[in-house]
Amino acid sequence: MKDAKPDTHAIVVDEVMPHAPETIWKTLTTGALITRWMMPPKDFAPVPGNRFTYQTTPAGAWDGVIRCQVLEVIPNERFSYSWKGGDAGNSGYGSLLDTIVTWTLSRVADGTRVRLVHSGFVTPRNDTAFKNMSEGWKKIVPRLGTVTDEQD
Amino acid sequence: MIEAVAIDVVMRALADPTRRAVFERVASAEEITVVELTRGSGVTQGAISQHLKSLKQAGLVAERAQGRNVYYHARPEGLAPLVDWMSHYGVFWRERFANLRNLLKEIDP
Repeated sequence: MKDAKPDTHAIVVDEVMPHAPETIWKTLTTGALITRWMMPPKDFAPVPGNRFTYQTTPAGAWDGVIRCQVLEVIPNERFSYSWKGGDAGNSGYGSLLDTIVTWTLSRVADGTRVRLVHSGFVTPRNDTAFKNMSEGWKKIVPRLGTVTDEQD
Repeated sequence: MIEAVAIDVVMRALADPTRRAVFERVASAEEITVVELTRGSGVTQGAISQHLKSLKQAGLVAERAQGRNVYYHARPEGLAPLVDWMSHYGVFWRERFANLRNLLKEIDP
């Protein structure tokens, strides 16, 4: 096999929130606050190298644990961590996941621009068929849950 | 029922540019035979058959025999292993952003 690298894709959410960067920073990097808007992290500390986890829904041989490691901490500006989980025996939800979550805050006139980039999702390269089939997804995705359950 | 295929099998099947091209042609046709796929492809019919075999094993195409002909069609659900995490987290983060906005309103009115 050629070692052609598959393309990776990212989810980007970018919004301006009417609050100071310092306030938003606290919600992103304080365990008790993260629990209130996301999920309860385990063993979390906003320190580079820190390893923490989130418990999510298991699938197949995967226990549902998302393993994270803090990569970068620039107070009030940038916070990134790895986001890994899944098992090679699964397909779709619960398959191997090796991604990175990056939060970037920048002060704007009416508050703070909050940009989330969740990167490293593997999809076929330049696959026009993939794009053409987006309609098919809407029918397929709800059925995947059933498939995952049956693998147990 | 959908046969679950591991992500690396699907990735391997699509990593080869020729095989990906075969898959795209199958996907853009309703149904297509090996002979039609070979025409103008610049590779031999044997090579096309091998690629179709790999694509079939990866769950990306399926075949239907009619008389002497075998017709191939794409299985869009075969690509599911590659994007399902993304659709999951696409929804996840949008929901979390809404939660974050509400929490901020509460602690910093």
